[in-house]
Amino acid sequence: MRPRLRFLEPVLVERIVEEAKAILSTRGVLVEGPMVARLEELGLKVDGSSGRLKMSSEFIDSGIESAPSSIELFDREGESHALLEKDRVHFVPGSSALKILDRETNEMRGPTSRDLAEYVRVADGLERISYLSTAFVPQDIPQEVADAWRLYLCLAHSKKPVVSGAFTAHGVTRMARLLSFFRSGKEELIAKPLAIFTCCPNTPLRWGVDPLQNLVECAEWGIPVEIVPVLLLGMISPATTVGALVLHTAEVLSGLALAQAVRRGTPILFGGAPAAFHMQLMTNPMTAVEALQVFCGYAQIAEHLKLPSQAYMALSDAKFNDPQAGFETGIGAFLAALSGINSVSGPGMLDYVNCFSLEKLVFDDEIVAHAQRFIRPVGIKGDLPTGELIDELVRENHLLTAEHTLEHWPEELYLPGPMVDRTNWDQWEERGKPSGRDRALEMIEEKLDEYEVDPLPDDLHGEIQGLFHDTFDGKLEMPEY
Amino acid sequence: MPDYALMNQLVFEGNQAEVKSLTEGALDEGRDVKEVLEEGLIAGMKVVGEDFKRNKIFVPEVLLAARAMKAGMSVLEPLLTACDGDAQRDVIVMGTVKGDLHDIGKNLVGMMAEGAGFTVVDLGTNTSAEEFIAAVREHDALILGMSALLTTTMVYMKTVVDAVKEQGVDVSVCIGGAPVGPEFCDEIGAHGYAADAASAVQLFKRLVAARNSG
Repeated sequence: MRPRLRFLEPVLVERIVEEAKAILSTRGVLVEGPMVARLEELGLKVDGSSGRLKMSSEFIDSGIESAPSSIELFDREGESHALLEKDRVHFVPGSSALKILDRETNEMRGPTSRDLAEYVRVADGLERISYLSTAFVPQDIPQEVADAWRLYLCLAHSKKPVVSGAFTAHGVTRMARLLSFFRSGKEELIAKPLAIFTCCPNTPLRWGVDPLQNLVECAEWGIPVEIVPVLLLGMISPATTVGALVLHTAEVLSGLALAQAVRRGTPILFGGAPAAFHMQLMTNPMTAVEALQVFCGYAQIAEHLKLPSQAYMALSDAKFNDPQAGFETGIGAFLAALSGINSVSGPGMLDYVNCFSLEKLVFDDEIVAHAQRFIRPVGIKGDLPTGELIDELVRENHLLTAEHTLEHWPEELYLPGPMVDRTNWDQWEERGKPSGRDRALEMIEEKLDEYEVDPLPDDLHGEIQGLFHDTFDGKLEMPEY
Repeated sequence: MPDYALMNQLVFEGNQAEVKSLTEGALDEGRDVKEVLEEGLIAGMKVVGEDFKRNKIFVPEVLLAARAMKAGMSVLEPLLTACDGDAQRDVIVMGTVKGDLHDIGKNLVGMMAEGAGFTVVDLGTNTSAEEFIAAVREHDALILGMSALLTTTMVYMKTVVDAVKEQGVDVSVCIGGAPVGPEFCDEIGAHGYAADAASAVQLFKRLVAARNSG
C-alpha cells in the first residue's frame, strides 16, 4: 500500500464540490474580452449587464465527464515521457520567476537567455525532475514574445516536455505553432502533448481578458491546461480551509467546463497556488501551513473527481537556499507526494515564486528523491514471518551479510547524493569542510559538464526563429544563449 | 602458476568456497605461503578497499569479501604461524570498556579490520584493563582497540592506558566511539583515535607500519 494523506471525510469532499457547483450556478463567473463572443457562439449565455456566466450543474458535470482522467506527455521526439494519473507524482521546476539568484555573486538579478539555457542544461540532467518548466523570464528579449522565447530555449536544449504558459494576448497561438514544429501538425500535437500550459483565473470567480483568451486557445489547440487559482486566504478567499476549498474548486471547475465546451476532451489538471495573506507584512506565502492544507485538500477533491492534479508546492519563500528554504521545500514536497499530486511545480523557486535558483534546484532534486522514496508502496519483502531473520541476527550479531539484506538493501536503503551531508564531523573535515552551497555549486558544474542532448537541426531553428522575426518584421535581434 | 587474478576476483565477489579451494590449490602447486597471501588474497582485498573508498561497493560487499579472505586465511594460517614472525598476521585485541555494553561500532571495526588482513581478537563488551592486557600478551597483539558509547564509561579508557603503561606492555592503544575524539585521545595518552570503521582500519595500518619501520 502506498502511503497517502487524506484528511477530508468523503462526505465533506462531496459537500464542497456540491457547494462549488451551487456557487457557479447561482453566482457564475465574470468573463471578459473578445473570447466572450466565442463562448456565446458555443451557446453559452453571458448576462449582458453583469458580464457573468452562470453554469448549471449539468454543464459542470458534463465537463468533468469529458475531461480525461489521465494525461500522457510526450517528449519533443514524440516518445512517451510521463503519465499524469492516479497517484503518480512528478516534480518539475517552479515556473515564471522574474529574477534569478546569481550563483556566483549570490545576489538576485534579472535573468538573460543565457541563464535560461544554462538552467535547462542543468535541469535536463537531474534525475528526479520529471520534466521541465519555463522557470523564469529572460529580460534580453522583447517581452511581447518572451513567453514563446523561453519555451523555444527549453525545447532547443532538452527533449523533455515543458510546463509553460502565455502571458501575452497572442502568446498561446504563437507558442502552439512553436510546439507544432515538433509534430506533424495540430492533430499530432493534440495526440502527443509536448507541454502543459498554466491558466490562472482572476480570483474571485473571474476569467479576465488574457486568462480567458489563453484558456480558450489552449482548448482549441488541445494543449493540456493546469488551472491555477491563486487564492489569498483571508483576503480574496475565506480564511478557513473549507471555505477556501469551495472557492478554489468553483474556479477550477469553471475553467474546466469552459475548456470542455470549446473542445471536449481537453486535458485539464486540477491545479492551484493558494497562499495565506500575511496580516502584518501583507505578503502571500504559499508555504504557509494553512495554504498547505488547502493544497492537500484540493488534491483529495481532484482525486474524487478523477482529475489529474497540479500544485505549486516544494518551493520556498526564503531569499536564499537557507534553513527556511530547506524546511519549507521539504515539508511541501512530502505533503505533495503524500497527497498524490500528479505534477508538482516548485523545485528551484524562492521568494514568492519571484526568484529562481540553480543552487536550490539541485538541492531540491534531493528533497524530491526523499519524498518519492517515502511514498513507495510498503509491503512484505521476505520479512514476514520474521523469525528466521531474527534468529540470524541473534546468531551473527548483525544482518549486514544476510541474504535478505543483500537482496533488499540496495532498493530499501537509499544513499543520498552529495546535497545531503551524511559524513560525521571528522569525515567532513577530511573532505575540506564543504558547505551546502559549495556542494551545490559543484553539482551544478558536474551537470553542466555531463550535459548531452542532440541539438535541433539548423532548419528547425530557422523555422522557429522565423516566428519571432515575423512579429518584428525581421528586425528582432536574437539574444545570445 | 595459480590464477591470482581469478583469486582476486573471487575475493572481491565474496566467494568463500572458491577462494578456499584456490588457496589450497596454490599451496598444492608448491607456491610460497607469503606469495599466496599477498598476491591471491591481499591484492583482492586491496581492490575491495579502493572500490569502497570510491563508493563503488558498500559495507555488505566489503564484509562478504572479508569472509572470503578469511576462508583463504584458514588454509594459510597454520603455515604462516610456522613461518617467521613478520609473515604472521598482525593481531588486534579489541573490546568495549568496562561498564559499557554497546558493541555495534566496535563489531563493525572488527569486521573491517579482518577484511583488511588483521587477526582480530574480540573481547566483547564490559572489558576490564586486566582482560585487555592479558589478551594482548596472550596473542602478542600490536594494537589494543577500545570502544565506549557513554560519557560515563569513556573515562575507563584512561584506566586501561595507565595500566598498559604501568605494566610496560608494548602495544599501540586506539580508541573510538561517539563521545571520544582526538583531544580526549591526547589527554589520556592513547596512540590513536578514529571516527569510523574505515578510518580505524587506516589508523591500524599506519600504526603497524610505524612500528615495523621503527
